[in-house]
Amino acid sequence: MRAENVSLLLGDGDEQIKALDDVSVSVAAGEMLIVVGPSGAGKSSLLAVCGGLRTPTSGRVWIDDTEITGMPEKQLAEVRRRSLGFVFQQSNLVPSLSALDQLLLLVHMGGRKPRAADRDKAMALLEEVGMADKARRRAGQLSGGERQRVGIARAFITDPSLLLVDEPTSMLDSNRGHQIVELLRRACHEHKVATMMVTHDRSVLDTADRVVSISDGRLAAMSDAEVTSVQRAANATY
Amino acid sequence: MFIALRDLAYAKGRFALMTLVIALIALLMTSLSGMSAGLIKNNISGLMELDVTHIAFEYDDRPTYRNTMIERAQWEEWAEQTGVKAMEPMGHTIFTARTQKDDPLELVLWGMRPASFLDPGTDLGDAIGKTENGVVISGLLAERDGVEIGDTITLDRVLTELEVIGIIEERNIGHIPIVYAPLPKWQEATYGPPGGPPPGEKLPAIVFDFVSILAMQLDESITPEQINELDEEIGTTTRDRNGFYIASTGYVEEVRTVQIIQFFLFLISAVVIGAFFATWTIQRTREIGLVKALGASNGYLLRDALSQALLVMLVGVAIGLTVGLYLGRLIMANTNMPYMLEGDQIGNAMVLLIVAGLVGGALSIRRITRVDPIIALGQEQ
Repeated sequence: MRAENVSLLLGDGDEQIKALDDVSVSVAAGEMLIVVGPSGAGKSSLLAVCGGLRTPTSGRVWIDDTEITGMPEKQLAEVRRRSLGFVFQQSNLVPSLSALDQLLLLVHMGGRKPRAADRDKAMALLEEVGMADKARRRAGQLSGGERQRVGIARAFITDPSLLLVDEPTSMLDSNRGHQIVELLRRACHEHKVATMMVTHDRSVLDTADRVVSISDGRLAAMSDAEVTSVQRAANATY
Repeated sequence: MFIALRDLAYAKGRFALMTLVIALIALLMTSLSGMSAGLIKNNISGLMELDVTHIAFEYDDRPTYRNTMIERAQWEEWAEQTGVKAMEPMGHTIFTARTQKDDPLELVLWGMRPASFLDPGTDLGDAIGKTENGVVISGLLAERDGVEIGDTITLDRVLTELEVIGIIEERNIGHIPIVYAPLPKWQEATYGPPGGPPPGEKLPAIVFDFVSILAMQLDESITPEQINELDEEIGTTTRDRNGFYIASTGYVEEVRTVQIIQFFLFLISAVVIGAFFATWTIQRTREIGLVKALGASNGYLLRDALSQALLVMLVGVAIGLTVGLYLGRLIMANTNMPYMLEGDQIGNAMVLLIVAGLVGGALSIRRITRVDPIIALGQEQ
């Protein structure tokens, strides 16, 4: 994934704010990039633009060498389904579906009835995140951490080239949060998926291959020393 | 229907309630269709049984069976026209009468030539024509009023005596039972002096030169324009099957009343389904945004939601229809209510009900297209 000189204005007239200001960022296959920043810094806006959920006011975005800027919604939906994996905050599972069906839904959305091989693959992914024994449970019957694990498994069912992760630890306690991020890191490396995770949680920065900070819609790279220092400070608060 | 089926299982209470509402509407619709068909049959069953394509009335923009008189010259002229395969003069008069036990009756006396294509024959006893004043009565007079073969019915005012020689299944016009008589007897009763001709005298020939209507079998090749031209030339007004049903008293009003009730039921169905799915879609907004963010197209979500609405409609209608048919059979077997289960009519009503529900559902469900997937990230649309 590559974004070049992306700016995003939100709101109208005098109320307009610059959510992203000339941002350029890229993530390589198998790399885990963490974008860290406080609330309102532009993290989710960056994720939305990179995931084709918002069209940038200016700048361009590529996924798998295909430019998605200005693509019609129908094609964007197809790109999201084929090439992207999303991990949202904990509550984002479809309430009526079981854990297994959350994954199979994406197969069905692709235009075909899930087959035995799809079920096997979905079960293997649930096994990978430690949820195979709860595959038949609906979202409401799972804890926050379990829902997040199912969300991660779902993100990998279509073998995406880009994984976008939105605040995966925000609704979890520190211990479970770390487990989830560690799980994401492992999956990112094993499946060789370019992963961009946005978070305000500085205690998980050591899991990243690269960290950038965002503030007032602007990105800034963080050196290893800065990451270590920030991480230490964050851990000290827990 | 991946999400649709699972939603049905997940929110089974809500969907069961909705299905029940649809079932009740379908039940009401089935009952209404039964009553409507029964009422219509009760009104025009006599006309429905006539083997004719057209009926000619005395010239009138809005012809009725009560106010029409055709003279011999007119029916002879019609009989000569090309395209007229068969034509029979026919009489129609409403009488009050007395049974042999002096019970009052209201009946419609139909006069026709025995053994003509209008002659209904008989289910019990003899057909008309066996005796000069022998009549065949609608089964209703036998069943409801206890009139039997061999009884004499005396028409009020004109005091014409009719002998019941046959009984046929229930046939009415304007909800009044029909009594079939030979045409000369009808002419005598309608145009003759009270009490009939003086002893030893015959009625004047002119009495037999008039009838009420002309029942015709017209060739398909004859166009409505040609019929209009002939009507102008002969001084008649000719109506096709639907038109001569409309000429029956109260028919239009009854049909229209039932149609209005049906229209409101279709409307209620559309509104109820629409309101339910509007609420359901609003409740699912976040879920729809999520699934869109994951890559579902509007088409995928619309198909899924519409198939859900269709399933609810089909199940609801099937339940309502089954109960409605069962109740209808009970009504027909155990009461004298004018009720009739007509497959075509009920089938059409059910299809329209489903279509109305789907239209209502579709209007609500289309809001799916307006849900922005950005809400999956917790941002505003």
